[in-house]
Amino acid sequence: MRRVAALLGKELADLRQNPAIVMPAVLTGGLSILLPFMVALVIPYVSGERLADSSDFKAAIEMYAAQPGSRGLDPEGAVQAWIFLQFLILLVMTPVAGSMAVAAYSVIGEKQARTLEPLLATPLTTTELLAAKVLGALIPSLALTIGCLVVYVAGVAAFARPGVFLVLLTARPLATVFVLGPLAALAALQLAVCVSSRVNDARSAQQIGALIILPISALLVAQLLGGIQLTMPLILLIATGLALLNLVLLRVAVALFDRESILTRWK
Amino acid sequence: MLAATHLTRRFGTRVAADDVSFELAAGEIFALLGPNGAGKTTTLRMLAGLIEPSSGEVTVDGEAMTRTTAARLRSRIGFLTESPGLWDRLTVRQNLLVYARLHGLPAAERVVDAALDLFDIRDRARDAAAQLSKGLKQRVALARTLLHDPSIVLLDEPTSGLDPESARDVRSLVLRLREGKRAVLLSTHNLDEVERVADRVAVLRTRLVALDTPAALRSRLFGARVRVQLAGAAAGHAASLRRLGLSDIRVDDRTLSIAFDGTAFTTPRLVRHLVESGADIESVMAEEPPLEEVYMRLLQADAGTP
Repeated sequence: MRRVAALLGKELADLRQNPAIVMPAVLTGGLSILLPFMVALVIPYVSGERLADSSDFKAAIEMYAAQPGSRGLDPEGAVQAWIFLQFLILLVMTPVAGSMAVAAYSVIGEKQARTLEPLLATPLTTTELLAAKVLGALIPSLALTIGCLVVYVAGVAAFARPGVFLVLLTARPLATVFVLGPLAALAALQLAVCVSSRVNDARSAQQIGALIILPISALLVAQLLGGIQLTMPLILLIATGLALLNLVLLRVAVALFDRESILTRWK
Repeated sequence: MLAATHLTRRFGTRVAADDVSFELAAGEIFALLGPNGAGKTTTLRMLAGLIEPSSGEVTVDGEAMTRTTAARLRSRIGFLTESPGLWDRLTVRQNLLVYARLHGLPAAERVVDAALDLFDIRDRARDAAAQLSKGLKQRVALARTLLHDPSIVLLDEPTSGLDPESARDVRSLVLRLREGKRAVLLSTHNLDEVERVADRVAVLRTRLVALDTPAALRSRLFGARVRVQLAGAAAGHAASLRRLGLSDIRVDDRTLSIAFDGTAFTTPRLVRHLVESGADIESVMAEEPPLEEVYMRLLQADAGTP
């Protein structure tokens, strides 16, 4: 654990010296916050049409009128709550997408900078090395997610209908952000580190690692189209699946990390 | 302290190191010489526990290096890789601190402070590694290699690409390691460096071509030879020596270069004979061919060329 902490300290110090690497994540996080505000508040304001008047949102109004925590909302508030909840998953996804660059570069970057061999000459084990690399990408990603969530909830509290922000503080959205989010991020970043230790070009690692965005995007689209609703049992089911996937990925990553190939075949 | 026993490493069908055996003792500087692709780095990596031999064994203080023991045994070894391998954005101090912690040193900060002083880099401790010259980077890398006080130090071309002054600094640091009773294995192309620091030399070309002290290798290949500087012309004295059975004599104006190989001659006897025959001797010295000549001769012999 001490060795993981030592290497993790290096990863975070490196990140502090090069904050530009997380700028894409910050920007996409910012855009993820802006997008639902545009849909729920700016467009109705500019067009002069209430969302509650649109037949598209009837189902949302009925759904939220019955749910605890949103019973007191007027029809416009119910639609806003629905929109802000649907886009919450985007908040989970975007910082992960940004941190993918950090994770994808983690092993191949060390190799290209010729810093990997001295590192491997220490008593550091493969599991410790990979754990530090994944945590080095995960911690900034989670910090960014929490930061974005705070801004998001504060923005909703300030600009949406009264009481809408309370919907975001119920069990389901919080479980999405604090359980599903970290587990999905961990799986994505583990996959990226895994890929990073197998390819010999950082760009390949990033492109392959970015594929993890697809299932999360599919979940968002399915939600918006009404094909799936992230209920608590479904969140717990997905979380269990992700936890198992993380365990499998850890074993696979350790098995795939071939010190010899990395040292002798990568140029 | 460190022993390589019949180490062989294959990469597919290519043999990078073939049946390499030697032992490294405490307080010894052992040089591994060889042309590019001779297997020096592969051998060092096997010794450092970074790659496994295809066959053969590495032992550290009698304990075999295996998959299960490698991580632990690596803590007794300091490995200076060919490239300094510093994290450019981190400061010198941060670079060293990470390694002190990776080695689990209990007082990491204090150990790093001591290393900064020992290697005379304290004034650059707060500078990012990227700002250092190549020589300074190598010095920091050497400090990093020795942070955990390893008893065995493996140095892969430590002066490669350094200017003469930086190379001299690194050499003097290497010599200090011997004083600390460490076993040092130095892989290099630099024969002058070997001449200056090594106690024993191994010439590697996939397999070991030779292994001995530099003096013994010279003697084995070139025999004992003395150079005699006379006050007058040397040609006449050469003729008189040839009559005594010394056949390999080179004459250059007032200088005689005489090989003793295969004769009962010794330097005192030679001097006595020359004085008795009226030669005015200005100096007598053992003639040592440069190590480069020894090295080239060994490689040529190994390749089967004259």
